Amino acid sequence: MFLQTQKITKEFGKLTAVHEVSLEIFKGDVHAIIGPNGAGKSTYFNLITGYHRATSGKVLFKGKEITHWPAYQRCKLGMTRSFQITSIYPKLSVYESVLMGLLSHRKVTPNLFSSAKGYFSEEVWQILEGVGLADQANLSGDSISHGDKKRLELAITLGTEPELLLLDEPTCGMSPDETEGTMIFIKRLAEERGLTILFTEHDMSVVFGIAKRISVLHQGTLIADGKPEEVRANEEVQKVYLGGAA
Amino acid sequence: MILLILAAAVAPFLISEFYLAILGEALIMSLLALSFNLLFGYMGQLSFGQAAFYGLSGYTVAMLLTRIHFNFWLSLIAGILMASILGLIIGYFCVRLRGIYFSILTLAFGQLLFFVIYKWHDFTGGDDGIQGVFPPDFLKSHIHYYFFVLVVFVLATFVLWRIVNSPFGYTLRSMRENSERTEFLGIPIARYQLMAFVVAAAYAGLAGALWAPFYRSMAPSSLFWIKSGEPVMAAILGGPTLFFGPILGMFIMTFFHAWVLGFTVFWPVVMGALILVIIFFLPGGILGFAEVKLKERKETKKKESG
Repeated sequence: MFLQTQKITKEFGKLTAVHEVSLEIFKGDVHAIIGPNGAGKSTYFNLITGYHRATSGKVLFKGKEITHWPAYQRCKLGMTRSFQITSIYPKLSVYESVLMGLLSHRKVTPNLFSSAKGYFSEEVWQILEGVGLADQANLSGDSISHGDKKRLELAITLGTEPELLLLDEPTCGMSPDETEGTMIFIKRLAEERGLTILFTEHDMSVVFGIAKRISVLHQGTLIADGKPEEVRANEEVQKVYLGGAA
Repeated sequence: MILLILAAAVAPFLISEFYLAILGEALIMSLLALSFNLLFGYMGQLSFGQAAFYGLSGYTVAMLLTRIHFNFWLSLIAGILMASILGLIIGYFCVRLRGIYFSILTLAFGQLLFFVIYKWHDFTGGDDGIQGVFPPDFLKSHIHYYFFVLVVFVLATFVLWRIVNSPFGYTLRSMRENSERTEFLGIPIARYQLMAFVVAAAYAGLAGALWAPFYRSMAPSSLFWIKSGEPVMAAILGGPTLFFGPILGMFIMTFFHAWVLGFTVFWPVVMGALILVIIFFLPGGILGFAEVKLKERKETKKKESG
């Protein structure tokens, strides 16, 4: 068992954002969680990564119950996330930002006297070349384009060398071309690095070629889960999500 | 940099004893400014209570030397240790807070300690302070003590330079930029803020420990909130984003202060006007402004050659 949620629920006052979602994510899968805006995708992500604490239910990761763990410990166990609203370091350089992920993951951050720039340069360059930011390594995070910021955040998360990568709407705000490029990149990442990737997406059409499994959330409840073709054929999904399109 | 250190080393033979004292003061207070800026410029939290650590350490040294004639070196270490322990205690509460709440709590703790020392007359001397704090004989001459301060200043500055460029230093910078992102990279934010708080307290403590035998006395005003404001102004003046900004700021402030006092006692008015000018016209401080100008020049050169 890699990642599992058991009847996980999150209530904000009277609003139930996520209602008893039980789901298992298998190692090595590219798994998409889809649903219209407000379906509870982000909240579900936040429960897994420790941004929010569950009202009830359990989160299990690599055989450990992490329901009440703080976010940083979950990350240390091997999961790193990106945020829907791109979360980067505005005044650190692209290079330094990626380095930060590596410094944290390789546990050298308590080191007070050695030079940070002396660490892991090979790994940083490898990641930067992988995401196509090598030529912008010395620019500050806030001076690059929107699409590049998204890629930078991805590069930062890769620095922590996660087993499970959680991407919250990785194509948010992107043009159709950029979206396609990102999807191909995600697929390549999973293949090359053997990563398990869980990502959310509101546009169903973009995930079909990429995801091995798709789960559909609607009003906080899991209404379908399975292979892309199964999900596409599911009547309830067609009703609430695809409308008349299918 | 080396030129500046050399200049400071030959200065005692060129300038009057009055300005030598001002130079020594600037060096010691620069350590306080560096302490403040580790938290402000690097970690992104504005402490308004650095004088508490500075003052506690100074009082520790002063009392150990005058009351029980304790060993000079061990007294200095005791002062720094006391400041660090106080940093651990105050920091434990403060690092949970952000922004203005952090600043207010550091201010509150600082004022609390000030009133304890101010009111506890029997133990601390209250508003009389403590007089007759002398360094050992071989440091008694002003020039000798100045050299001692200079050596400690250079070493301590070098060590802090290493710290801000270490993985720990980069962790602080990343927390300043986006603490949420850093937390979600596996960093326990509060623990690192506390570590930084203790390091900063130790540096403020070092400044206080050097100050007591330099000034030969300690007064409760050294813990007052106005004292905590000095490193804040020095950082803004010199430029908090650059390592040497607060040192430059503190040098300007100290010398300007000495010079202005020569013809008016309304120093705060002059200082206030100066800070206004900086905030409105050089928002990155003097060094920050210089950095921008240098970059611009480089870029135009690049364009010309390209």
